Amino acid sequence: MTELLQKLIPNVIAYKDRFFEACSSTVEMFFISGIFSFVLGITIGVLLTITKKDGIKENRIIYFILDAFINFFRAIPFLILLIFLIPFTRAMVGTAIGVTGAIIPLIFGTVPFFSRQVETALANVSPGKIEAARSMGSGTLGIIFRVYLHEAVPELVRVTTITAISLVGLTTMAGAVGAGGLGSFAINYGQGLNHQDIVLVCVIVLLVFVCILQGIGSFLAKKSTNRSIFRKKY
Amino acid sequence: MKTMIKIEGLNKTYHLKSGNVEAVKDVNLSIEEGEIYGIIGYSGAGKSSLIRCINLLEVPDSGSITVGDQKLTWTEGGTMKVIKSSALNKARRGIGMIFQHFNLLDRSTVFDNIAYPLKHSGLTKSEIAQRVKELLELVDLTDKIDVYPSQLSGGQKQRVAIARALANNPKVLLSDEATSALDPDATESILALLKRLNKKLGITIVLITHEMAVIKAICHKVAVMENGYVVEEGEVYDIFANPQKEITKKFIGSASALNKINSLIHKDSPLVRIKDGELLLKLVFEKNAVGDAVISQISRNYNVNLNIVLASVEVLKGAQLGSMITVISGDDKNIKDALDYLRSCNIKVEVLRHD
Repeated sequence: MTELLQKLIPNVIAYKDRFFEACSSTVEMFFISGIFSFVLGITIGVLLTITKKDGIKENRIIYFILDAFINFFRAIPFLILLIFLIPFTRAMVGTAIGVTGAIIPLIFGTVPFFSRQVETALANVSPGKIEAARSMGSGTLGIIFRVYLHEAVPELVRVTTITAISLVGLTTMAGAVGAGGLGSFAINYGQGLNHQDIVLVCVIVLLVFVCILQGIGSFLAKKSTNRSIFRKKY
Repeated sequence: MKTMIKIEGLNKTYHLKSGNVEAVKDVNLSIEEGEIYGIIGYSGAGKSSLIRCINLLEVPDSGSITVGDQKLTWTEGGTMKVIKSSALNKARRGIGMIFQHFNLLDRSTVFDNIAYPLKHSGLTKSEIAQRVKELLELVDLTDKIDVYPSQLSGGQKQRVAIARALANNPKVLLSDEATSALDPDATESILALLKRLNKKLGITIVLITHEMAVIKAICHKVAVMENGYVVEEGEVYDIFANPQKEITKKFIGSASALNKINSLIHKDSPLVRIKDGELLLKLVFEKNAVGDAVISQISRNYNVNLNIVLASVEVLKGAQLGSMITVISGDDKNIKDALDYLRSCNIKVEVLRHD
């Protein structure tokens, strides 16, 4: 087995410590920025939904600010955003390189996109359900958690999957400016030292990772449509 | 009887880009406890806005609304005051509402849908389970407790919605076109259920509809809306027997075969053509009409002939309302005496055509 791998991907084996380190950096960047982005994105998406015109807590000022924030950061290509945010990142976490330095630009790159998707997912919850909840005496928080987020679960799973996959892409792009991970491994060791097998293995690893994400996402979306994922018994 | 819902001087205008839409204009209504009160009108008449004002899903521009003992809006020093939102949420738990498209949570079982409004009721988990079972028995759907709405028919979904609306023992049930999306069978069974709940629980029901058949089937009183105004209001029987406004006549016509007469006259059908000395009559037999076989009596006693073109009998709240279109022929004097006799029996006589 080892001999076969030695033959097929000699350079990956030679740099296998670096390779595993790169894998774990990518996973680390993905999960840390992913969790922050998820929470922030859901929060902003909900705020956009309830503050927009005819929303349950209509508020033009908050909507305008959030809307402008999202449009601004979505307009900047990620590679430019990485450089643009360097002073801010340094001020916040002390460094602009490595995994730590990559988290903040990744969040800024993901949250606006994800917030918009959450807003769209929540817009698909029929206004009739909101009206029914109001008629039953539900307050703002009750409507957010028990109607909007509850009814939109399949749609939220779908948009989370899409965002997670695009986040994988962003983590590798961050690698180009010194974040580490599979992106920088592929560039520095694969392209830089002209080891094509390293590039190939990075592609395969990312492909498998994306396929797993898509698989989990599709499964949960299907499972949660028109019912809860875990059935209760009375 | 106690007044359950009191609405005074209610106005609601929507400010749209295309201009202002005055949906509700100076509406005054008083709905008694235990009544089934119907509001009928074409789409855009303002009935949806009006019913939504009763639980403040729409906040009116002016006017006062009182449900039970709770003031929801009132006028103070010339401006309208609105109840605080926490008190409103509490008040809303005492006002159930059902909708045309049911508005159930698709990702919740029947149980969870019905338990939804019980969250703030202070009941324990097992008490909630008990209450949900009672409600399902009330709407006759006990076997569907673990089912999701997508597996139910329209009529069953509306039953779940009714159970959910009744969860907190409300005094009032608002029905927003609750049968408009249902097939005739389901419509009939939902109306029968509403009628039964009204009798059994004494709950006051306000329903809006565009179908006179719904009013006829279960309502005690009816208000007719047109262009934001309530143009006619009263006991269903009286409205059917004596409609005043053109729109009311149109709605009643839609629920009665007698409506055909107008189009027959309009088309000058041979059925309603009359010869010299003949009259085309409309006779209305209200609940106070006396005399049984009046038609055979007058043809015998006054030597007149009656040719019946159309006839119908409605039964409204157990009282009959009959009407008949007939051509009467005979001697002028005899016809006049026959008509006087009919009038003396409290039968309304209207001459539709003469030469």
